Amino acid sequence: MAESNVPVPSKYVTLASGDGYEFVVLREAVLVSPAIKGMLDPKSQFSEARTGRCYFEEINGVVLEKVVEYCQYWYKYKESVNVPDMDVPVELCLELLQAADFLGLDRKAFLP
Amino acid sequence: MLCRGGSSGRGRIRPPRRQLATQPGSNKNDFEQFWAKLREALHDIHTHNAGNLSFEQLYRYAYKIVLMKSGAQLYDRVTEFEGKWFAEQVMPPMSALITKNLVSITLDGAPGISVVERRSLGEKFLKFVRTCWENHNMAMNMNADILMYLDRGFGEEHRRPPIYATTIGLFRDNILRRNLGATGSNYEVFDILNATIIDQINMEREGDVIDKALLRSCVSMLEGLFETDAEVESERLYLTTFEPYFLRTSHDFYRVECERLLREANASSWLRQTQRRLEEEGARCQTTISPLSEQKIASVVDEELIMKHLDEFLQLEGSGIRAMIDNDRLEDLRILFSLVLRVDDKVTSLRNALSLRVMELGNEIEQNLNNTDFSVAPDTGAGEPAGDGEKTKPKTLNAAAQLTAAAIKWVDDVLQLKDKFDQLWVACFDRKAVIETALTRSFSTFINRFDRASEYVSLFIDDNLKRGLRGKTEAEVDIVLDKAITLLKHLGEKDKFESYYQKHLARRLLHGKSESQEVEQEMISRMKRELGNNFTQKFEGMFRDMNTSRETTDQYRNHVRGLGELEESQIDLNISVLAGNNWPREIMGRATGLLSDTKTKATYPPEIQRLQKSFFEFYTKNRNGRVLTWLGGAGTADVKCIFPKVPGKASGPLSKDRRYEINVSTYGMIVLMLFNTTKNDEWLSFEDIEAATNIPQPDLINVLTSLSVIKQFRVLLKESQTKSAAKPGDRFTFNAEFVSKAIKIKIPSVNAANRVENDEERQKTDEKNLETRKHVTDSVIVRIMKQRKELTHTQLVNEVIQVLSTRFKPEMSLIKGQIESLISRDYLERDELPDGSPADKYKYVA
Repeated sequence: MAESNVPVPSKYVTLASGDGYEFVVLREAVLVSPAIKGMLDPKSQFSEARTGRCYFEEINGVVLEKVVEYCQYWYKYKESVNVPDMDVPVELCLELLQAADFLGLDRKAFLP
Repeated sequence: MLCRGGSSGRGRIRPPRRQLATQPGSNKNDFEQFWAKLREALHDIHTHNAGNLSFEQLYRYAYKIVLMKSGAQLYDRVTEFEGKWFAEQVMPPMSALITKNLVSITLDGAPGISVVERRSLGEKFLKFVRTCWENHNMAMNMNADILMYLDRGFGEEHRRPPIYATTIGLFRDNILRRNLGATGSNYEVFDILNATIIDQINMEREGDVIDKALLRSCVSMLEGLFETDAEVESERLYLTTFEPYFLRTSHDFYRVECERLLREANASSWLRQTQRRLEEEGARCQTTISPLSEQKIASVVDEELIMKHLDEFLQLEGSGIRAMIDNDRLEDLRILFSLVLRVDDKVTSLRNALSLRVMELGNEIEQNLNNTDFSVAPDTGAGEPAGDGEKTKPKTLNAAAQLTAAAIKWVDDVLQLKDKFDQLWVACFDRKAVIETALTRSFSTFINRFDRASEYVSLFIDDNLKRGLRGKTEAEVDIVLDKAITLLKHLGEKDKFESYYQKHLARRLLHGKSESQEVEQEMISRMKRELGNNFTQKFEGMFRDMNTSRETTDQYRNHVRGLGELEESQIDLNISVLAGNNWPREIMGRATGLLSDTKTKATYPPEIQRLQKSFFEFYTKNRNGRVLTWLGGAGTADVKCIFPKVPGKASGPLSKDRRYEINVSTYGMIVLMLFNTTKNDEWLSFEDIEAATNIPQPDLINVLTSLSVIKQFRVLLKESQTKSAAKPGDRFTFNAEFVSKAIKIKIPSVNAANRVENDEERQKTDEKNLETRKHVTDSVIVRIMKQRKELTHTQLVNEVIQVLSTRFKPEMSLIKGQIESLISRDYLERDELPDGSPADKYKYVA
């Protein structure tokens, strides 16, 4: 409907943490999260979609960094077999689980 | 789900920052706060004002509500909100559109409103439905996105359908299923929608232009909605509600259409209309409604337009299948075939109609034959085989030639018919095997119903091999042979054909009439290929005899030369020694069945007798114990004649001696030699000649007629001088004034061809045939029983029929009779039951 006035979205998007860190990430990589995908859906035209910037008020920089790392990790290996394990620091695992749950990363990602 | 916040962890694991669940006091408060935000957002989404909303915030509200275990509440609130939205925002304008007019037009079929008006009313309604749907769908997609966590954190655990399914289903419940009681009718919006779509489709069927994209989007809405929120694949509203209605109304539409077409009684336009309708419906499924219905609507058309009245259309006078075949309406037939094939893989109706037509046309050929007068040489129409032969003799044809002409016409007509149907088969019927079978069967039926078929086929080959092949290329010859074989394949009574062919081949060989040895051989080898070795054994024997005879003749010549008794009057002998079994009985002089009847033994002149004796001695030198019978009717002789000059003629050919070499039949030679001893002007009566030569009367009549009636060949004078055949009581004398431009004269033997039998002969042939069949049947029965020892009656009869069917179609009475006869001759015996009564079983008696 409102699609006609949408410019071609940028290849990169910005993810911002509650404590002020910003990560510029490949759009395709972050689409692994259905929640972020919904935010950036050009059809819906929420503010995130219009600005290309997602602000996560309740996720801190350390955790968000790991999330971004995971996004890249997923993007890099999504079509490979024999993928090396991603290193997850033990002290972050609970917070990461929570973030993953929030972002919908806790289930099998479907390829965009 | 993994322990959210509960576990204290080991050592260095950092606990999540803050837990909502740890603040139970603010729970209620928070929910209302979050819901207020979300409700605002839902409203904004509906009004296309989502641009300033932060997805992350809304998502987080839903997330928190779910974590607060208030998912159920949120779920219900959203549903409630959307229901209210429909009631307040969508239904009022919708109701305004569903006027009484629209209802009565679409559902009650009220007359009196122009198509244009109907269409615009319908379109307006459909457009509104489409817009509502698109808005709703869009909004629900966005809702579902921000409420994603609701599905994950609450819906799945509590087995609720996804929020999207529920909210999209609201459209079904609040709009489509909304009862229109308010407008005074008992319909749902859905009824109106379906009826409006169908109305538009019917308009298109009638040739109007409609907004296909509009219909397509309404239909795809129905495809996207389900009966329940469980979204079972087979319960798409399209399949459960629209499609049945669509198919039902299509049935009605095409039933009416078919009845109209039937009234118009034009099969050709029916075919095209049906074909067009099928294409249209196919295209409609692709562009306007759903591809899901393609098969189903096609079978509606198949049923209503093709199946129901197929036979009636086929039988239409002037445009039905008969007219299509007769007028070569290939296109019609092609369409017809493709349509019939849709509804019946075996194309029964078409097959039967074709068979029937083949038989009708076959009967027509036979009737034509009976009505055609062959006594005058055909100058047009009868085709070229008769053309070149008969042109030289524009006079009336004799009986034999007439029958040959009839045979050729029959064969040509049948082949033409066959060609025609073969072409149809290739061009229109996709070379479908069942049709070929049906055609072949019906051809066989009418060919075999015609009792002269075997004879005519043989005559056709005979005629072609005698003269029809002159100047033809190999390819053309091939075609003729193919034709012959084609017909041969259809003949049921192959034994009958065999005996005719034997007779005709014998005449060709003995009289040297065959055009080409090579083609003869080719014909035989083709028959062999088609019908097996057995069938051509005799024919090959005949060829063998002819070849051996040539050698024998040469050897005999050498032998005579070796004797050194060459005389002026030495007679050159060219002999054909025919083995009795291979040749037809008539030729072998056994027509009367009296083998050594003295009556049939002509008295040869002494010169000839000496020659016969000399050859016989030569021949039996190496072949002891063989008997040679001389067949005067089968041979020919070259007689050198000197016609002395006629006294009193000073000029012209008559003034000097004339020498001619006259080629006559052997009997003819005997008769001519008789006149060697007569004086000028001495007349011999028919009876005198008969007594002196002992030639059988019918042969004598032929010979005398050929020598005395035809003007160019009148070597003898006949009294009375009529053009009719010689008969007992006539007198004959040597024609001293005979003149001919050619030195070598071939006296055509009248009736020599004897091409077609008269009725009496045919009866005889049939009797002989029956006799042969009895023998064949006997041998088959005995062979089977010898192998099987014991068989029931039915088994035996079946086996016999199977074996015999390659040669002829045996009648039951024949088989039964032969079984009885074999029992009486002690080849078989009837088995007996213990109580002595006869069992239905035969035993072989060794």
